[in-house]
Amino acid sequence: MPRHVACVMDGNGRWAQRRSLPRTAGHQAAETTVIDIIEAARAAGVEWLSLYAFSTENWNRPGAEVDFLMGLVRRVVRKHAPLLLARGIRCRFLGVGDSRIPRELARDFEDLATLTADNRGMTLTVAFDHGGRRDIVEAARSLIRSGTPADEVTERLFADHLPFPDTPDVDLVIRTSGEQRISNFMLWQVAYAEWVFPEVLWPDFRAPDFLACLHTYRRRDRRFGGVPPRTMGETS
Amino acid sequence: MTTTGTADDRPLFGPESRFSGFFDDPRWALAIIRATVLEAAHPQIGAALVDNSTFVAHPWRRLRNTFLSMRRMFGADPAVREREAARLNRLHARMSGSDSRGRAYDAMDRATRAWVVATLFESAVTMCRLSGQPLDQDTMERMYAEYRSFLAALDGDASELPEELDDFWRYFDRVVEDELENTEAARVILYRLFDHLPAPALLEGAPTLWAAGRAVVGPLLGAITVASLPESYRRRAGLPEMPGASTLMQGAYCAAGLARFLPEGWINAESIIEALSLSPGSDDPRARTVAALAARMKRASALLRLLTPLSGVPQPDPAPSGGTGESRRSAEEFFRKVLDQTGDGHLDWPDLAAMARELSTRLDLDEPEETRLYDAFAAWWRELQAALDTDGDGRVSAEEYAAAVPSLAGPALIRVAEVLFDVTDKDGNGTIDAVEYRALFRTAFHRDLTTTGGTYSRSAFVGDFLSFMSGRRTNTAYDPLLTDA
Repeated sequence: MPRHVACVMDGNGRWAQRRSLPRTAGHQAAETTVIDIIEAARAAGVEWLSLYAFSTENWNRPGAEVDFLMGLVRRVVRKHAPLLLARGIRCRFLGVGDSRIPRELARDFEDLATLTADNRGMTLTVAFDHGGRRDIVEAARSLIRSGTPADEVTERLFADHLPFPDTPDVDLVIRTSGEQRISNFMLWQVAYAEWVFPEVLWPDFRAPDFLACLHTYRRRDRRFGGVPPRTMGETS
Repeated sequence: MTTTGTADDRPLFGPESRFSGFFDDPRWALAIIRATVLEAAHPQIGAALVDNSTFVAHPWRRLRNTFLSMRRMFGADPAVREREAARLNRLHARMSGSDSRGRAYDAMDRATRAWVVATLFESAVTMCRLSGQPLDQDTMERMYAEYRSFLAALDGDASELPEELDDFWRYFDRVVEDELENTEAARVILYRLFDHLPAPALLEGAPTLWAAGRAVVGPLLGAITVASLPESYRRRAGLPEMPGASTLMQGAYCAAGLARFLPEGWINAESIIEALSLSPGSDDPRARTVAALAARMKRASALLRLLTPLSGVPQPDPAPSGGTGESRRSAEEFFRKVLDQTGDGHLDWPDLAAMARELSTRLDLDEPEETRLYDAFAAWWRELQAALDTDGDGRVSAEEYAAAVPSLAGPALIRVAEVLFDVTDKDGNGTIDAVEYRALFRTAFHRDLTTTGGTYSRSAFVGDFLSFMSGRRTNTAYDPLLTDA
């Protein structure tokens, strides 16, 4: 069972276009999937779930779409806050550094994180206004500010300066809609991740699809750069 | 001074007294509010309160000070009592002036001071009556003797209050009938204080929660207090009669009276007041418990905010402006939180007097240090007035202050810092050593410092104090001193 699963929620726009709907309708439809996947991951025993909601590059989208997304995310966060609390899910938001994020939304993020900070069920990290490179640059800055001598910098020490240093490495990344790109997502943490690329678009992605991805992962032979074990086929 | 001994030989002060029996009684909270309204309804006291009191802007600090002072006055140790009485007398001697109609007031007026004690006694009796557990005649007479000796400890003798309890009721009714008015101070307590009550330090992290609770409890407390006032005063002051208010009031008193069935030690006024005044960020060891409580409050208010329905269309968010606007805002913020102690929107002598009062209380100053501190503050006030009062109305507005912040640290303010340094430097060696410095912070600023060695020179101390008082630096160790609500 993967300990840390991350999802790149891709295909909302295409889902809407195929139905001749505005792109925003695709984002709206994504809400159901998000809740469904959170429940599925929790039920399957995943300890860490990360969702890529908004990248630092997404600010380049049309202003109206960005505004709509901000409003939508705010409504979703507020609507599901009691459920997340009751389900024992610890929520936190990775990124959220841009001043273009409405203050009310940042407040809600903070409130939800405060509210669920003591939950121990599953940790849900929502990457919002996130960029993997930016996190690495921030970590480097923090490392330099702490006055660590160059020779003492190790991978472990470097990782301690990343945002949310308690986050374990990602074991499995699911990117929907068949796109096969990393898109600057949690670059440090996905170093040894397995990737699966289901063809289904995010609004159509459901719990069975998620479980199928977990199954695919279990059949993978994770080597972490070592040699393949002698017994071929199904291990662990 | 008759401080101890009556017919039954039990001391009038100390843990045996009727008074200390009420200390941890939740009904006492309601009774104190009622007594304060009756005090404020006295034109002399009302005028003094409106001019000098910090209770609107800093009600929690005021509550804590009053509580500690009364405990000293009713404590068993006569030396402590004498010292506290002298301190209260010095404090009140500095309060005099005239009200809005030009009538003079003087906080040392003996008849007026007797009235304060009378309201406390009468409210204690009334609180027992209203909660359905009236006091018997003997207890009442004993308690009356206690309050008379309280007045005697303050004033030298208690001749302003009738000797016999029977005459007291006639005296009380006469003052209510003839002297009490619908003063501004009484209205402020009844209708403004509870509606705008700032959160105590403990709940500062949870403003939404506080505001929501206050919106319900504030008007209720007002209605309960009005209903418990003497009928003749309600009529004369034109206070509204609300249907059901008297039932509500009696219910509240009865419910509070039921707390006597709780296990002993569950309700302890001192620990409640101390806990409310502790700010979660301080280094006090008890603050850890408080911090845990504050974290729960924070989560509760986060949930409350998330559950509040969104209002209408999302409005675009203006980017926060930087630069000069920022520093101006922080100056106005400093003005509101630190300088304007009486909360009337202007800086005036009573504001600075309140600061001097607070500092000398916390530092437990005696004469002549206390007078030196007051004099230093008075000189600073003249300096401020000369420099900042551009429209010549005798007081300084927030705008005048914000516009002139950079030039604020004049020689008189330096003098204030030096006096403060001198009273802290007990051994007079020109530096504050670690022990003195820690004592200053613990008593005056409620901070436990962890520094173990080193000394603080006069110039370093003065520099720090100046940058705080001129609002140039916030978040210093001085913040909790004068910003406590």
